[in-house]
Amino acid sequence: FTASLLLGTTLTISSNHWIMAWAGLEINTLAILPMISKSHHPRAIEAATKYFLTQATASALLLFSSMINAWQTGQWDITQLTNPTSCLILTSAIAMKLGLVPFHFWFPEVLQGTPLTTGLLLSTLMKFPPITLLYMTSPSLNPTVLTSMAILSTALGGWMGLNQTQIRKILAFSSISHLGWMTIIISYNPKLTLLNFYLYALMTTATFLTLHSTKASKLSTLMTTWTKAPTLNAALLLTLLSLAGLPPLTGFLPKWLIIQELTKQDMA
Amino acid sequence: MDLSLVLNTFTLLTLTTLSTPIIFPLLSDSLKNTPSTITNTVKASFLISLIPMTIHIHSGSESLITLWEWKFIMTFKIPISLKLDFYSLTFLPIALFVSWSILQFATWYMASDPHATKFFTYLLLFLIAMLTLIVANNLFVLFIGWEGVGVMSFLLISWWHGRAEANTAALQAILYNRVGDVGLILCLAWLAYTTNTWEIQQLNSPHQTPTLPLLGLILAATGKSAQFGLHPWLPAAMEGPTPVSALLHSSTMVVAGIFLLIRTHPLLSSNQTAMTTCLCLGALSTLFAATCALTQNDIKKIIAFSTSSQLGLMMVTIGLNLPQLAFLHISTHAFFKAMLFLCSGSIIHNLNGEQDIRKMGGLQKMLPTTTSCLTIGNLALMGTPFLAGFYSKDQIIECLNTSYLNSWALILTLLATSFTAVYTIRMTVLVQTGFTRIPPLTPMNENNPAITSPITRLALGSIMAGLLITSYITPTKTPPMTMPLSIKITALVITILGIIIALELSKLTQTLILTKQTPLYNFSTSLGYFNLLTHRLTTKTLLTGGQNIASHLVDLSWYKLLGPEGLANLQLTTTKTITTLHSGLIKAYLSSFALSLLIILMSAH
Repeated sequence: FTASLLLGTTLTISSNHWIMAWAGLEINTLAILPMISKSHHPRAIEAATKYFLTQATASALLLFSSMINAWQTGQWDITQLTNPTSCLILTSAIAMKLGLVPFHFWFPEVLQGTPLTTGLLLSTLMKFPPITLLYMTSPSLNPTVLTSMAILSTALGGWMGLNQTQIRKILAFSSISHLGWMTIIISYNPKLTLLNFYLYALMTTATFLTLHSTKASKLSTLMTTWTKAPTLNAALLLTLLSLAGLPPLTGFLPKWLIIQELTKQDMA
Repeated sequence: MDLSLVLNTFTLLTLTTLSTPIIFPLLSDSLKNTPSTITNTVKASFLISLIPMTIHIHSGSESLITLWEWKFIMTFKIPISLKLDFYSLTFLPIALFVSWSILQFATWYMASDPHATKFFTYLLLFLIAMLTLIVANNLFVLFIGWEGVGVMSFLLISWWHGRAEANTAALQAILYNRVGDVGLILCLAWLAYTTNTWEIQQLNSPHQTPTLPLLGLILAATGKSAQFGLHPWLPAAMEGPTPVSALLHSSTMVVAGIFLLIRTHPLLSSNQTAMTTCLCLGALSTLFAATCALTQNDIKKIIAFSTSSQLGLMMVTIGLNLPQLAFLHISTHAFFKAMLFLCSGSIIHNLNGEQDIRKMGGLQKMLPTTTSCLTIGNLALMGTPFLAGFYSKDQIIECLNTSYLNSWALILTLLATSFTAVYTIRMTVLVQTGFTRIPPLTPMNENNPAITSPITRLALGSIMAGLLITSYITPTKTPPMTMPLSIKITALVITILGIIIALELSKLTQTLILTKQTPLYNFSTSLGYFNLLTHRLTTKTLLTGGQNIASHLVDLSWYKLLGPEGLANLQLTTTKTITTLHSGLIKAYLSSFALSLLIILMSAH
């Protein structure tokens, strides 16, 4: 299944034609579904169902947008998405795939239902193709929509994360807010989006793997990890702080650069 | 023979003689002090200090001794210097004479005390600090002496520190003095800032001095000399042993405030506001203290209030622009007040600790020397012609009457003078005359020369001092010589009026009717409600204000409402609302997706 995942991702990334992109996304979705529902637990099945429904909708919307564009302009090139309607639909499709507000409702529950390693794959690898598509189509996207979704994501991710006890849900909301950060800069400087994504992937991987090794899935479990693996606990602390974006740690870098870029564009 | 050299040498010799009992025990273990050595040291010091005084009277020579210059800021030098002028040279022998008598008395009074030597050392330290204050030329050195007397007063008032009232009284003394010190420091700061010197001989202002530093000086005098407003500590200070009351709170420490005003008189004289403040404050203090003394039943408290009243009178004199007359009153007052305290001490010890005059009576027959000296002291206090008090007090009242100043202050002072007569006579009558109210088996005995010689010596001083001092000094301001007869004998008439009223009133006490509690009586007995009102009110306000700022403002408001917790609370409301939105129903989610899509499409067109 991992191989199919990699195949799908590579396909989407290296595609120039919308059909190829769509195919790659579908392969990804189908490949990860069995991985989500590996444990046959009702929650896992529920998570898988939700994931499938949302991702299917998103892929359908993606296809719609590319077809409208093809109908209007006559070409299927990803980088030449000119029709405004199709741009908007594409934006919402990708938002749904990624988990941007207001299309984010599936994300926490799905992540909660999956085992930790799969959750990791969900958060990082599965985000990669949609981000790539966003990157490729960035000049033609509507900034207003993107900005409003991004701001809402950041805020909502933060607020919702406060009231959680399950670690996976917290991580889901953290990923939502990070996605918000990534989206906000995409119309001005897409490279920063990519930078943010890479660093976020790095930090989330570290967090997920740490949590996986201590088998902690609730905050209360996390409390007692210091007895089992003290150094790992300390390392987890630093990683989490980095995720939060505290200055001397790496997580601060994308935030700082994004803000700088935004102020240059007079968006502050 | 160079007179100025002799003057300087003997003054310095006086001061060093006084410090030998402090230094010698530190040098060698065999040179321990005893109460009698300390008394003899002070006696020797007194005799030595007579010589500079004689030289001054003979030739009018004054001198300025600079011992050392403290240069820690180059532009502002503080020379540690002593000014030996009329005031310091005359007060030195008087203070030493009174101290010698008191110390001699204390050898009998504190004989049963296990730490008598420590007591005497404290008294000696106090004396040294007081004399530093007197001879200081630099206000800085004066301040050192000022603080010294404050601290020693604290230590001495709480001598019997097992007694709670003694501790509170000592605290009161320190706090009230401290409030006054603020004024002194304000004046020092202003002086350093404008005139760049703290020397007293450089203090003169041809133009008007601004009122603020002068008010600071008056505040300092109010604190130290127990004027109205900062007065409760003086009656409370009677918790200390009688020699302490005699030395500190009658002759020396409480006059430090007035002495400061005398020294800085050139600054004060040009400012009319400061003068009027002194006048009115002094008049108020003297009347208030006299009123409170009318209904006191503790013999020491009566004498304390009379001290307070006389201090008010001295303040009035300063307000009349007559510093020399104030100094004269300080000197004469020292004699008879110290004697009054010593007599009361003798009475108290002989009655085995009884201080209530309602439980004394008929002591004339049992303690003849003490009571006759008590009578002499009281007469001097009232200003009986040709005793010591007359020379100063009568002159003050004459000047008051013939001046063109405040008539309200005049009326108050005259009223206070008559009250002085009233309470003095009351005390005399209740203590000495009438039938005895003491317990039957009281062994009283005043045959010890340690009691009788100081008291008789001071009695001699009370009689002669006024005459001696006024004959030998030339007044710097001409006293009023001509006035109508009625004004001339005002003081006398008022005093006699007071005596008659007191005698009449005392006849009432022969009958066994309970005194009615009229408002006036309550006012007088509870010391003018001042203690009751201010003590709890000010402290409570200050402390609750502090608590409000510390806990309510800082802890509760800044940290909880506005600061970190407030922010957290803000987030809490939002979080709770949003969490309820995430219900987990896929149908709701998908419909929200569709809705958002529609909105986006709509908004873009």
